[in-house]
Amino acid sequence: MKLIKEKANPLDEINKKFLAKTLEATNILHNRISDLIEGKIDKEELKGVILCEKECDKLKEEYIKILFKDKKALPFLVEDRYKIITMVDKMTGKNELVARFIRAFPFSIYDDIKEQLTEFNELYYECIKDLIDCVTLMETNFDGAFQKTFEIESDRRNAKKLKYRMFDKLYKKKDNMLQIYLTSKLIAYTYDVVDAAEDISDYLRGLIIKYPSK
Amino acid sequence: MSAITPIIIAFIVISIIIAFAIGANDETFAVTYGSKTLTMKQILILATIFAITGAVLLGEAVSKTVGKGVLSMSLTDAITITVLLSTIIWLIVSSVLGLPISTTHATIGSILGVGLLLGGAGGIGWSKLFELSVWWVLSPIIGYVITFITYKLLHKYVINKLNGFQQFERAEKVFALILLAVICWTAFSRSGNDVSNSVGIVVGATEGTIEIGVLLVFTGVSFAAGIVILARTLIKNVGTITELRPSTAFCAQIPTAIVLFFGTLFGIPLSGSHMLVASLIGLGKAQHAPKNKGNIRIVLIWFLTFPMAAILAIIIYFPISALIIT
Repeated sequence: MKLIKEKANPLDEINKKFLAKTLEATNILHNRISDLIEGKIDKEELKGVILCEKECDKLKEEYIKILFKDKKALPFLVEDRYKIITMVDKMTGKNELVARFIRAFPFSIYDDIKEQLTEFNELYYECIKDLIDCVTLMETNFDGAFQKTFEIESDRRNAKKLKYRMFDKLYKKKDNMLQIYLTSKLIAYTYDVVDAAEDISDYLRGLIIKYPSK
Repeated sequence: MSAITPIIIAFIVISIIIAFAIGANDETFAVTYGSKTLTMKQILILATIFAITGAVLLGEAVSKTVGKGVLSMSLTDAITITVLLSTIIWLIVSSVLGLPISTTHATIGSILGVGLLLGGAGGIGWSKLFELSVWWVLSPIIGYVITFITYKLLHKYVINKLNGFQQFERAEKVFALILLAVICWTAFSRSGNDVSNSVGIVVGATEGTIEIGVLLVFTGVSFAAGIVILARTLIKNVGTITELRPSTAFCAQIPTAIVLFFGTLFGIPLSGSHMLVASLIGLGKAQHAPKNKGNIRIVLIWFLTFPMAAILAIIIYFPISALIIT
């Protein structure tokens, strides 16, 4: 039994809310992409991604205000934490871009890439989820976070392979050029989110190596 | 106590000015600046408090040692004033350049200059000088070695066990608090040690006609003024000799604090500046930090201090002795 109640860390609280919102946006987008593949998407539900992104922006601002007000935080940690949240926020912005793109996307998905796109969509979700876990683990477990960075790298590598396989099929089609182009853009924009996640994971790995603990 | 003569007033004024000059070259709080534990404003406030209290409470123990035994002749007024003035000039020049020097070196260098001028080789107490020199050579070596070892042990048994931002931050906060306590203790004991350089000569020359307690108060205040007015560049330069965090700054500060404390207790005029700078260089080596090219300037001025103080003393002696005679 704890005799002394632990003081709530406002920075930690906001960070958790921010990461939860990012994951929520990713989850909504992942489900909508699945619906798009099955041909039964309700595009209004994509608003959820946009709303989550707006919430993330507000939480980010709150976080940064506390970060700079908190005199206890060490200066080099302040800089690292600021960089992490801004990078994750940029990635969330890419999620919003995908959501807005899908809202405007007027076509259905080609049958011959549906299977790969489904797999690609799963990798996208796993990659972002792993990233959120990695950022969370940075607070308490560098070892765990370090392992996660390799999982994220593997997700991105596999996503990249699938992206080019789908492009290969798309670019060989003699079909509606606009549909081919927009479908490839959908894949490219979604891949950009995965790529951003991997960039963040590379940065986190650099931090873990920088901090003098095992 | 006999009547206050003009020459005694001159001694008092000069000793207060030299306390200012010593304060201007005080880099005690440099590691708190470098590790971002304190802001410059906070440093100046704390430095002032400990400068005054250290001078008043600890200055008496050492002040009866410096100035005695190095010169193999009586301390005349001209010699005393010359030594003080040449030390002041070299301290101020170094402080304006932002380079830390040893006040003890400057003082003894000045004494050496005057002693050689007036008595040749026989004018110097070489055995006393040798005894002091041993400590000046040993103090940076001790600082370097102990800091190197302390850092390696701390890294292996404490820092390497930390996992995650939160543990790291908590540990660094603890080190920051310990560092602050150690720095304040160092400032307190260094003030006692350094103020003695200004008071010691006066005590030696006036042989008890000055109430040392009152003089220590005035020199303590003047020491604090020197820090506030001129020491900022120096603090920044020393604080950035190598990369610092509270835990690593702790490794550099501990040997300086411990050795200086015992030096003050036993009346050994140690070089706090040399010890701290050597500790920071040792720390940089231990943590494989990039070399700071500014360190060369610091080492160069160390070597220049002794001869330059001696030369300044030789130059100043003639007008001063003429002035006193007239």
